[in-house]
Amino acid sequence: MSVPATVSAAPVPARWPRLRLDPVALLALPAFAYLAAAYGWPLLVLLGHSLSGPDGISLAPFAQFLSDPFSWRVIGNTLRSALLVTLVCLLAGYPAAIALARARGAVQALLLLSVILPLSVGVVVKAYAWQIVLRRDGVVSQALVGLGIWDAPQRLLFTEAGLVIGAANVFLPFMILPIYAVIRLIDPRLSEAAATLGASPVRRFLTVTLPLTLPGIVSGIAFVFSLAVSMYVVPSLVIGDRYQTLATLTGRAFLFMRDERLGSATAVILLALAVAVVVGSTALARRLGGGGRS
Amino acid sequence: MSESLPSDPGFLAITGAEKRFGASAVLGGVDLAVARGEFVSLLGPSGCGKTTLLRIVAGLVSPDRGRVALDGRDITRTPPHRRDIGVVFQNYALFPHLTVAENVAFGLKAKGHPRAGIGGTVSRFLDLVQMAPFADRRAQALSGGQQQRVAVARALAVRPKLLLLDEPFSALDRKLREAMQIDLKRLLRELGITALFVTHDQDEALTMSDRIAVMNHGAIEQLADPVTLYRRPASAFALGFVGLSTRIPGLVREAGDGMLRVETPLGTVRAPGRFLPGSPVLLGVRPERIRVGGDGPNTIEAALVEVAFQGARAHLFFAGPDGNRTVLAEAPEIPAGAVPGARLRLSWAIEDTLVFPAEPALREAA
Repeated sequence: MSVPATVSAAPVPARWPRLRLDPVALLALPAFAYLAAAYGWPLLVLLGHSLSGPDGISLAPFAQFLSDPFSWRVIGNTLRSALLVTLVCLLAGYPAAIALARARGAVQALLLLSVILPLSVGVVVKAYAWQIVLRRDGVVSQALVGLGIWDAPQRLLFTEAGLVIGAANVFLPFMILPIYAVIRLIDPRLSEAAATLGASPVRRFLTVTLPLTLPGIVSGIAFVFSLAVSMYVVPSLVIGDRYQTLATLTGRAFLFMRDERLGSATAVILLALAVAVVVGSTALARRLGGGGRS
Repeated sequence: MSESLPSDPGFLAITGAEKRFGASAVLGGVDLAVARGEFVSLLGPSGCGKTTLLRIVAGLVSPDRGRVALDGRDITRTPPHRRDIGVVFQNYALFPHLTVAENVAFGLKAKGHPRAGIGGTVSRFLDLVQMAPFADRRAQALSGGQQQRVAVARALAVRPKLLLLDEPFSALDRKLREAMQIDLKRLLRELGITALFVTHDQDEALTMSDRIAVMNHGAIEQLADPVTLYRRPASAFALGFVGLSTRIPGLVREAGDGMLRVETPLGTVRAPGRFLPGSPVLLGVRPERIRVGGDGPNTIEAALVEVAFQGARAHLFFAGPDGNRTVLAEAPEIPAGAVPGARLRLSWAIEDTLVFPAEPALREAA
């Protein structure tokens, strides 16, 4: 009772900043441990390979790879196809996400199912299916000729357009779902309020809906881009060997050329590109999404 | 529905508004006229159609039938952004990605006001609602009361012809609510704003309105000024929904000369009215009309169940004709001998007895 409050209540001030671990962070431990073993460690090995020259550490594999004009075409192919796939997914996925979020009851369940269910079909199966669909005598070609858009049947298979169409099909759900998740949280009254304040439908979309869905758009872009930049199966089956991307080249280097240093170098470049886009877009999302939602 | 028609009945004119959602009729042919500068409340329980009616006026819901005209112009098919009608939503619907000032500026920009004047208008309206110091805050960093003020400023800044308010006080605690009601009413009167106000809170409606439309089951049961509505409710529903009352079911025994003798479980009660003998009726008496002790034209004796002291007055609950139905009297002081269990005499004047045809549904609800 007569103990001075300062002695009993105040904790001893820390002399040096101590590492404080939030107990909640422990919940991430299993996943963290798994990823460290299954992804982190191999990644370090890969990095080591890419930096190993005949006599110790060397940037030679990178220099060698980047000095070849062919390599730059491969990087160009990788970025261009990934950007096109992301763009197609965004343009097709955004309206779909809005429809999904605004739908009610059974319609919504059906729409959601039609987005998620295709994920259960293996990518190899999808890619083979696209091979058939995109042939000169395939459904797409026949339909376009039938509609009078094309004069004669053409082959979409083994073209970049065919690759983008096929890949967008595989990755579309990864664009729709994050945008849908964000739209669902937006109060529909905000758009109504904008309407009563005199904003036309286009203005409501540009000044209310679009800014509020930006965080979802950015995470959708991050998902689809990082998947598309590293896709291997779809290009292998839909466009073939003449069109190389960093991912297919990495595969060839390891599987056929047995050139571990080349494969490691391309893999590291690919990883750096993907990380740059994902980190950049999440940083952007954090800045734009600062307003959050009600 | 015929009381005190305003001089300019057509500033906002709703005629025959009907709306169904699926199988259920939400509004069944509602007529309502609001005069310029008037403050009219739509009062009713949830599901009575009041919010649907408000949304029809705003253009956010289109009626299946009927017309809406504002300032002499038919706006039934006009989209909301061309209506010149401001709305304060129940949850305020402030734009979370914008600051307070940007929220208020939103409508001015959308309506193409010259950029140079927008800043001045925004600060003037933020001043009006005493939110100027918060101009640069994010909307969602504000308290409920502050958000409500910003929502009012945002809706008024574009100078709408009509302001719609959808339960704007329901998220606020009681003390704040009462202060905000007085502030808002003063502000609207100063600006000469015509307002249609949706609420389920009778006190709010009585405090703020020039006239109140009591709604039930998608129809307006009574449209009247607050005093008339309280003193002369047009239906048993209006009696029960606005203000407290004692409600006693009875059977008309004798009728003549506009005077009734009604037999009730608490004794015979005399009341003004025209019913056929044998009609089942519902009698209503306001608590402040009942005198505890003493004799009057209508006198009953009842057992006191509970006394609720409320500072300025006391409510005395008496056992009613059956267990759950109670008789309520209001007294400025707790009368001597008012202890639970005591049998006290209660009296009131003949003209203070309100008589309504008995509604089976209401009897169950009461």
